[in-house]
Amino acid sequence: MTRPARTRPAPARLLGETVVIDDVGPGRRSRAYPSGGFASLLLVPIALLLGGILLWPVGRTVQASLTGPDGRWVGLANFRIALAAEGTWEVLGRTVLWAAVVPVVVIALGYLLAASRRSGTLLLLAPMALPLVVTGVMFRLFYDPDPARGTGTAVLTALAGLFGVPAGAAPAWLGPDLITVALMSAFVWAWIGLPVVVFRAALDALPADLADAVRASGGGRLDVLRDALWRPLLRRTAAIVFALVALGTARAFDLILVMAPGSSLDEAANLAVRVWQTSGSATTGPAAALNTLWLVALGIGVVAAAAGGRQAWPPPAPAPAPARAAAERTRWPVRRALPVLVALLWAVPVLTLVATSLHSPREAAIRGWTAASLRLSSYREVLAQDEVLRSFLFTAALALSVTVLVIVVALPAGYALARLRPPGTSAAGALLVAASAVPVQVVAGPINEVLARVGLAGTSVGLGLVHVALGAPFAVLVLRNALADVPGARIRAARIAGRREWGVFWRTAPAAAPAIIAVAVLEFVQVWNDFVVGLLFGGSGTPLGLMVFGQTRQFVSNSGTLAAFALLASVPPLLVIVLARRQVIAGLVSGAVR
Amino acid sequence: MTSRRAVLGGALGAVVAGAGGCGGSGRPVQVAVVWSGGELVRFREVVRQYPQPVDVVSTRNDIDAFLSARYRAGNQPDVAIVPQISLIADYARRGWLQPVPPEVTGRFADNWRAMLTVDGREYGAWVKAAHKSLVWYSPDRQGPPPDTWPAFVSLVRELAGAGRRAPLAIGAADGWVLTDWLENLLIGLAADGQYQGLVDGAEPWDGPLVRTALTELAAVWAIPGAFPDGIGRALITQQEESVIQVAEGRAAMVVEGDFVAATAERFRPAGATALTAARFPAGPRGRPLLVAGDAAMVFAGSRAGAELLEWLTRPESFRPWIAAGGYLSPNTLITPDAYGPAAARAAELSDPGGAPRFDLSDQLRGSLGGPDGLGSWKILQDFLAEVNRPGAVDRACRRLVRAAAQARREAGS
Repeated sequence: MTRPARTRPAPARLLGETVVIDDVGPGRRSRAYPSGGFASLLLVPIALLLGGILLWPVGRTVQASLTGPDGRWVGLANFRIALAAEGTWEVLGRTVLWAAVVPVVVIALGYLLAASRRSGTLLLLAPMALPLVVTGVMFRLFYDPDPARGTGTAVLTALAGLFGVPAGAAPAWLGPDLITVALMSAFVWAWIGLPVVVFRAALDALPADLADAVRASGGGRLDVLRDALWRPLLRRTAAIVFALVALGTARAFDLILVMAPGSSLDEAANLAVRVWQTSGSATTGPAAALNTLWLVALGIGVVAAAAGGRQAWPPPAPAPAPARAAAERTRWPVRRALPVLVALLWAVPVLTLVATSLHSPREAAIRGWTAASLRLSSYREVLAQDEVLRSFLFTAALALSVTVLVIVVALPAGYALARLRPPGTSAAGALLVAASAVPVQVVAGPINEVLARVGLAGTSVGLGLVHVALGAPFAVLVLRNALADVPGARIRAARIAGRREWGVFWRTAPAAAPAIIAVAVLEFVQVWNDFVVGLLFGGSGTPLGLMVFGQTRQFVSNSGTLAAFALLASVPPLLVIVLARRQVIAGLVSGAVR
Repeated sequence: MTSRRAVLGGALGAVVAGAGGCGGSGRPVQVAVVWSGGELVRFREVVRQYPQPVDVVSTRNDIDAFLSARYRAGNQPDVAIVPQISLIADYARRGWLQPVPPEVTGRFADNWRAMLTVDGREYGAWVKAAHKSLVWYSPDRQGPPPDTWPAFVSLVRELAGAGRRAPLAIGAADGWVLTDWLENLLIGLAADGQYQGLVDGAEPWDGPLVRTALTELAAVWAIPGAFPDGIGRALITQQEESVIQVAEGRAAMVVEGDFVAATAERFRPAGATALTAARFPAGPRGRPLLVAGDAAMVFAGSRAGAELLEWLTRPESFRPWIAAGGYLSPNTLITPDAYGPAAARAAELSDPGGAPRFDLSDQLRGSLGGPDGLGSWKILQDFLAEVNRPGAVDRACRRLVRAAAQARREAGS
């Protein structure tokens, strides 16, 4: 048995009517949803939150893109103005390039790593725990144009030397020609853990005899790949990973702002950066048109992902994969070399960051991270500022309270969608998937209108609520899947023990504990690592992401303290992810779309 | 049902406020700045003396985007300190700011006050100022650079030809470094009113003034070997790194403001003499005196902000800046001799006879003034990138004209 029995109710036809036969109680339709009221009650908080902080703002943005400043309908005039502005097409092209190229690289590399089964998953998962601002700092140091400081530059210069290019004429990573490549490499570095984890689970779920059958009928290596791996499962998994990564490239915002020097920013800017720089956060006119274009593109991506990936996420592996075919797998030399190479590539930027932080700012600037004298003075300089400590406390309090609230909002909703299934459940699922893809920059203006109306603009509560609204859709999806997988016997026991609907809920929810932990960890890490939400909605109190970002105006002279600060800011999320890695992996695997 | 949400919100608020460490005394005063690194540390030192907690947010150069977003959200800071004084005029006209009372503005020289006066009312006060017509060099390695432009060009050519070290370091990754170069030349070339005419549109961006200035710039920038490791490297060198290049002896001179001193001091090799500044060489119309400054504005309705500004502009509040070296203030209550070795430069700042001209790109409205990747910052970076190609001056002028027209449209709408 490769798939565990699913308890999802199966549709059936009874007396000519479609009914849902549950293993508990009579068919749903005939009961006319006796739990409908309770289900609505459970769904109210999330509906309010998403309605106010995501759906209404999205509608408002679309409306603003089609109307003039006086609110009158102007058709596509705003779009024409936006597209006619200098550089808009380049920016759009670059945004699409990111969404197309990066997922392919991530999937190809992730698949090869997952198939080779040698690299430590932890090493590849850890980058996902880092704030993207920190990843940006790390790669900015790695690609520093001075070969003594920037190891990436030293490697590139050496490579160029092999081809006879003199040292001075080698292209620079941070220059206008290569900046996008440099940024993409940082992004791939940060995101590779996701495909490795997911593909590994998918490969574990594949029936081993399928490959043998293909081979027995005379198929070669490629036939095995196509018929035994790609077609039955990997195609769908790849579709989901593609969509997730493509949507994630919208977050390259943080990386671009941190890494690109001013002279290359124009060549690096994607839609998010351009809108941020030029619109002054106006929610009207051409800026709204650009945002609407972005939403439409994301919508297409979500639909494509949903179509290509339904039922595609592999179920959690029922048993540890047998060591089958280990000999066969290691025969291919690339597979043997790749994990070692990747481990090296993944470790060197971290090494750069850590070593830079261990030098005094002066040494780090003048002699680079390879200089022999190790000091802690950079850390001392960072910790001497009490704002840093204040920011740590603020971020911790924010991340913890948002995490608690997300669980409080998402668990009942997940339960309602998984077990009570009121009318519109599948539509709600699609809506949640769409909601988890909305980039916050697109709707920042209208969100602020909402927050201002309830008197929460510029407050920590408002900031926290935006975080909750952004994190809740994904949390609901994961918890819904986990609660749907709770064995029938457990539900029956809960039904018998709990007289009321609340009682049943309380007795069922603990069965989803691993998923709750996964959601909590991912949410905590996401809020801790945030930069954009803090930038747009922060009021009193400066979140760490914004604090690190503020230090990145000058690099070389501040590299030591910047590296030390970046590392300190990464410790809590790293620690949490490492401690809860098993739940996190299971959560990611059972994650978004099912 | 709303009550449920209110309860959730309230719980969140209680936790955040409780752990934020700012309970009791209320919301800290929030100040947005563009500084980071040493300047930011210094400013935090300054506000640590303030009786109330002050929350400093650094937004780097995109402060206009940040402040606009925050203002529209209703969560603007109390005070913002910006080098782009054009923002103060913009925001004041939109009614976002409160006027600064005369007892605060009275602390500054008249010509400095005038720059923050919008439609007859004063909307800002200076926190610090910079003297930007300086060429820094190491007295251990050379004498002071010549004080006329043609002689300066030949010195650069001579040093580049000698090949010992690059004659110039330039932090071209930061667009404002390049606009400072251009502005120094423009002031040296401009007749009365022409320089300011570029701000208000009376002087064309493709006229003889800008054209000559760009051509003169190209005469220096295009010299082979002018910058360490070439122009491509210069374009990804930041301003502070360019100072380190001079301190370390990889380049001979760097053109930038008095704030260079602070960085140079931090990176002075053991036993070396501190870098010394000479005035930027004179053009046909005289020696340029380019100044800039960081001005503070207070958003409308913020009492705490107005109080902080009054405190910030007191002479005692400026002491940590003076102690660090390399920072000046146009505050007339601070006598020049308080600056020690920088006394002469401080005196020039407030000297009405010296005819200081304020940084042009900081006065330009809309995206013409920058920041990173936009407007004049980016146009000059591209100009430097292709300075050896024919027609570079023409292309730069054309783009400047286009950017100015777009900025006018943005301001008009």
